[in-house]
Amino acid sequence: MFPLKAADIKKAQLSNGLTVMGLEYHKLPLAHITVMVKRGSERDPEEKAGLADLTAEMVTLGTEGRDSQQLALAMERLGARYSANSGWDASCVEIFGLSQDFTALMGLMGDMLLQPTFPQEEIRQSQQRRISRLIQQRDQAEVIADEIIVQRLLENTPYAHPIYGTIASLGGVAADDPRSFYHRYYSPEDAVLLVSGDLTPEKIRQEAERFLGGWKAHEKVDYQPPSPARPTGMKIIVVNRPDLTQSQIRVGLLGIKRKDERYIPFKVMNYIFGGGGFSSRLMQRIRAEKGYTYGITSSFQAGYVAGPFIISTFTPTATTVPLIEEIMKVMEELITEGAQTQELEEAKNFLRGSFPLKLETPGQMAGELLKLELYDIPFDYLSTYPAAIGNVTLDEINSLASAYLLPKDLVLVVVGRVEDFLETLRSWGEVELVEYSEMIKDCFPSNTSKHASTT
Amino acid sequence: MQKITLDFQRDTLSNGLKVLTLEDPSHPIVTYQVHFATGSRNERPGITGISHLFEHMMFRGSKELGPEEFARIIQANGGTLNAFTTVDHTSYFESLPTDKLELAIRLEAERIEHLRLNQENLDTEREVVRSERKLRTVNSPFGLLIEQLFAIAFDQHPYQWPVIGWDPDLRGLTLEDCLDYYRRGYAPNNAVVIIVGDFKRKEALTWVEKYYGHLNPQPPVEIPPAQEQPQRGERRSIFKKVSQLEAFFAGFHCPGIRDPDVSPLLALSYILSHGKSSRLYLRFVKTGKAVDAQVEVDSPPFWPMDPGLLQVYAIAAPGVPIGGLEKEIWEAIDEIKDGRFDEEELAKAKRGLTTSFIMGLQSVFFKGLAGGLSELKAGDWRMVNVLLDRCEEITTDDVQRVAQRYLSADNRTVVTLRPITPEENERLEPME
Repeated sequence: MFPLKAADIKKAQLSNGLTVMGLEYHKLPLAHITVMVKRGSERDPEEKAGLADLTAEMVTLGTEGRDSQQLALAMERLGARYSANSGWDASCVEIFGLSQDFTALMGLMGDMLLQPTFPQEEIRQSQQRRISRLIQQRDQAEVIADEIIVQRLLENTPYAHPIYGTIASLGGVAADDPRSFYHRYYSPEDAVLLVSGDLTPEKIRQEAERFLGGWKAHEKVDYQPPSPARPTGMKIIVVNRPDLTQSQIRVGLLGIKRKDERYIPFKVMNYIFGGGGFSSRLMQRIRAEKGYTYGITSSFQAGYVAGPFIISTFTPTATTVPLIEEIMKVMEELITEGAQTQELEEAKNFLRGSFPLKLETPGQMAGELLKLELYDIPFDYLSTYPAAIGNVTLDEINSLASAYLLPKDLVLVVVGRVEDFLETLRSWGEVELVEYSEMIKDCFPSNTSKHASTT
Repeated sequence: MQKITLDFQRDTLSNGLKVLTLEDPSHPIVTYQVHFATGSRNERPGITGISHLFEHMMFRGSKELGPEEFARIIQANGGTLNAFTTVDHTSYFESLPTDKLELAIRLEAERIEHLRLNQENLDTEREVVRSERKLRTVNSPFGLLIEQLFAIAFDQHPYQWPVIGWDPDLRGLTLEDCLDYYRRGYAPNNAVVIIVGDFKRKEALTWVEKYYGHLNPQPPVEIPPAQEQPQRGERRSIFKKVSQLEAFFAGFHCPGIRDPDVSPLLALSYILSHGKSSRLYLRFVKTGKAVDAQVEVDSPPFWPMDPGLLQVYAIAAPGVPIGGLEKEIWEAIDEIKDGRFDEEELAKAKRGLTTSFIMGLQSVFFKGLAGGLSELKAGDWRMVNVLLDRCEEITTDDVQRVAQRYLSADNRTVVTLRPITPEENERLEPME
């Protein structure tokens, strides 16, 4: 089914306000079911980072009719997979199974969304699991780098904290918080059911009515997230981890909103700069010519507010400084010399030609459609996309590069063995130095010397 | 449940190149894959990691193309591409818009025939791979433990070294080593080509003949890898590194992909740790004793060709002693050996396995891998369907029998992670 047309998506609304979307897929006997609530981690109360994501999981951990284990058994007996989580701007509950089981799976979906019970013991266990995972993540330099760069770029917005929370914030979630979050934000008026599978639109509509028709709407909460401010000057944050042989490096800039009319040109500019794998300037220079790293990429996230535009890479400690300097050079070259016609044509060819590859499976189609729905982009985006890519001009790319690639106004994060590069970084600007050994103290608030006792 | 099978057509060129095709016009894309039957099992001490480093060299230019130009051209034609190396094979693939298939066939064949190997390219790529090794192994939470597990569990067989290779070997690899490896491994009679998706079989076969037909076959020079002797008694070691949590990684020798015990072993791994209703999840992960606890086997077609390891690992939650956790996990596995599980758990596992298979068929890429790797590793792409049929036939007796046979203490190797502080780490020699 390609190209996917707006008319292929059968959209309806139930009387409780729930939007129902169905997409037929008859190649395999599968059913991919998602309920997306348009409220995500940006709604986490202050000091309670991670609550939205915890609430999403709690929806799958006990209902009026089934405890968590019975739910798991009911799904897995049918060979189905299920999960629930939050991101920026939305939370999703997803079930993927066989279309022959569609009615049963929709029954389980309805049960979870309409009658969750938030058992205290399940909340306690989930908090514990999450805190343990965060403690484990402290070992992963790339996660530390990712967290810091987002936190600094999106400072003073509700997007600054990790979606999964922090050790302290999860510890502070009270037993009643998930239930309150659910009652405040899980409303059918703010939600969408999307089913793609070996099913008819009638069947989808019918089962949606049967199992989700009784979902009660509640009062709307007014909300306007503050926009992040562009970094000014160079902010440098360094985490000293002497045990690492390789540095994790992030260079952060601020990107655009999803509704920005330059979204498509921005995609093309990012492809040329760092998003296009071996076709990108960053990869070409820093891996293929210099051999400094196995991988370097740039990517941007565009939501209700302007999101981060981040260059991510890693390199053996000794090449940390030359690699960062090379990134700056690549940025400056794109600003001053501009992109080449051939680069632009190749980027367009890739983005147009590979579009069907991104829409091959029911899950991929669901993901794409839900993003459009979330940010209120008309579905004809799917059919107009190739032409829109084709219309991008060199001037647009070059003005975007000048406006968004700002080598003097950015956030730089390095996690690594600092003695080999700290001095140079200090000559570039003020460095905020964090000792890793301090950073891991929160892992064991009651016993910071735990490791010493195990050796 | 509706029975679904994969149905390839096999053609063989006169130089021995096998070509598997499967037309599927439902979506305007096509996947082109070339799998070479050479991986780290075909290496020897001193040149470990050459298979994977060589995979990188395949992107460093040919007679027609400059370094990394292969990737740029495929992408500039709307395609995606990559390559990967395992213990058993090295695989290259492109996914493309329908009308670009010939381009992929031509460029893949050209780099096999006219690869440009020179010292400068080797030196650049060696450093890229060493950076990759640092990323995936040295600086990752458990990479070095898993490496040690295989190094200790295997005495003779090449599965004892990592696919990415030992760092001193990577530093020492020469251009001559690469040329020698290229001649032995990259022959048409040592490869399987796969085409799946929206294309015309006859036309595609003409292109394959046109671009590959003149390549000369090479005599099969491969010396079969040494056979591992049965393990007699548990092997254990400790690995110290900076870590917030304790963990253990264990391996049990188990049979290669052709063995009929593969299916009951898959069911066993499902019963123990697949999903939120599985035994290890409910007992250890859900209750907060372990951050993770898994029984891990590679699902076909990734299951190794020669006897490999079934892995069991657990990461203890803070404050949970790893020794006690390990013991409890062996007790949980003993229950299976004692037959303390029921038909319903097995039925759930079987349903999970078949549903997973059907889900895998959503992408032409995975269909290609399933057929191509089965052909390469088991000698017949039909292995995909055979394994599915075998899943239907598994009994509780089979599961109990394989648990008893393979998951014994004598057949076990265990590496335990002992966390140390960054200060203590300074006192130990650095790892590369």
